[in-house]
Amino acid sequence: MPELYVPKGLDDAVAFMAAHAGAALPIAGGTDVLIDTRVGRASAEWLVDLSPLGALAGLERDGETLHIGALTRIRTLELDRELARSAPALVEAARVLGSVQIRTMATVGGNLCHATPSAEMPPALLVHEGEADAVGPEGTRSFALAELFAGPGRTTLRPGELLAGVRVRVPSASAGSCYLRQTVRWSMDLAGVGVAAAVEVEGTTVTAARVALGAVAPVPLLVPEAADAVVGGELTDESAAEAGVRAAAACSPISDARGTAEYRRDVTAVLVRRALRIAWLRATGSWPAGALAPINGVLPEEAA
Amino acid sequence: MRLELTANGDPYRREIEPDATLLDVLRDVIGLTGTKWGCKTGDCGACTVLVDGQPVVSCLQLACQVDGRAVTTVEGLGPDGDLGDLQAAFVRYGGAQCGFCTPGMLVSAEALLRHNPAPTEAEVREALAGNLCRCTGYNKIVDAVLETAQSRATA
Repeated sequence: MPELYVPKGLDDAVAFMAAHAGAALPIAGGTDVLIDTRVGRASAEWLVDLSPLGALAGLERDGETLHIGALTRIRTLELDRELARSAPALVEAARVLGSVQIRTMATVGGNLCHATPSAEMPPALLVHEGEADAVGPEGTRSFALAELFAGPGRTTLRPGELLAGVRVRVPSASAGSCYLRQTVRWSMDLAGVGVAAAVEVEGTTVTAARVALGAVAPVPLLVPEAADAVVGGELTDESAAEAGVRAAAACSPISDARGTAEYRRDVTAVLVRRALRIAWLRATGSWPAGALAPINGVLPEEAA
Repeated sequence: MRLELTANGDPYRREIEPDATLLDVLRDVIGLTGTKWGCKTGDCGACTVLVDGQPVVSCLQLACQVDGRAVTTVEGLGPDGDLGDLQAAFVRYGGAQCGFCTPGMLVSAEALLRHNPAPTEAEVREALAGNLCRCTGYNKIVDAVLETAQSRATA
């Protein structure tokens, strides 16, 4: 096991990470890092304990911007009633991650920086126009969250850099979002396919839309051409289905224990259609405020 | 390094290895062996304890991160030498067979009932999703939790 370094503050943590680049691994909730180091999936001489950096934990609202500190626990998002109304995709992604125990420990920053292709939070944060804030030896920089992911288990963070938080846009009205996933089991499973969608509506016209996919490419994927299929008119079954077809064409899933590539492509198309439909119902006031969607998005009339 | 915490209300001050998990400290340093070492990958829930009232898997919890905090283990769920109401319900319903998952089940169920005193069956199953049992088939455990919620409400 590596040695543990407890930094005196964020600057100290960054300085230590930079001085031990390649040999130090930040640890927050520990739910990925401790397993990785135990089974030899990650090796480090040092673990840098970020948990004393309390300033990086918590949610802060500023108009349409929601700042999510990197050390915010997944459980905090899951239980936020206001967020369930204003940014339901974030809550729907948080509530299916691991178990209650894991969600109590795991952090948003850890879920992002572990860069698992099937991670729940990235698609939900991407459709809310996530911007990453990183702190490094050369100061702070911000970039589109999609640029954080370099490949399975790899980020674009520079040596010594730490993710401080992510900012998302939460439109004040006439907008809706949704996160759905396919798994073999409802809990304690990784997404076979994860899909997030968001729409903004003026009158009965979709003015903006975003679709993001998890578990079907080496990195979480924004698919603008899928979202474009529903922009410019009322969201219909046909336009949502077309978005699904485009999303399925844009992804590049692998075959593994959670499904074949072909199956995942089919499920992607279905979940994109359902997620857009639910986001539209929310944006147009046709969905009970704060109510979460079924995990796979099957609505009662659709199941019948 | 020095660690101070309370476990089931009792204060402890111990020298620990910096990389020790809370599970290591509870079982091997303090001697509270009710908390079980199952998978050590956070999947089985047998090592679940409460930290400041919140359920965590102690196998993935660095002990140094809970310095100064209050830990509750299965030993703290009942009066000294006797069963708590939730534990008694598990016995009545046959919610334990081999018993290895039981401490974690009890702690997760207790966390649920404190957070949500009147859970639905679905909410009980969701709360216990991170606790695996290979014996009972879960139904008797769920029944025991639901009955405890009811009896606490009328107590």
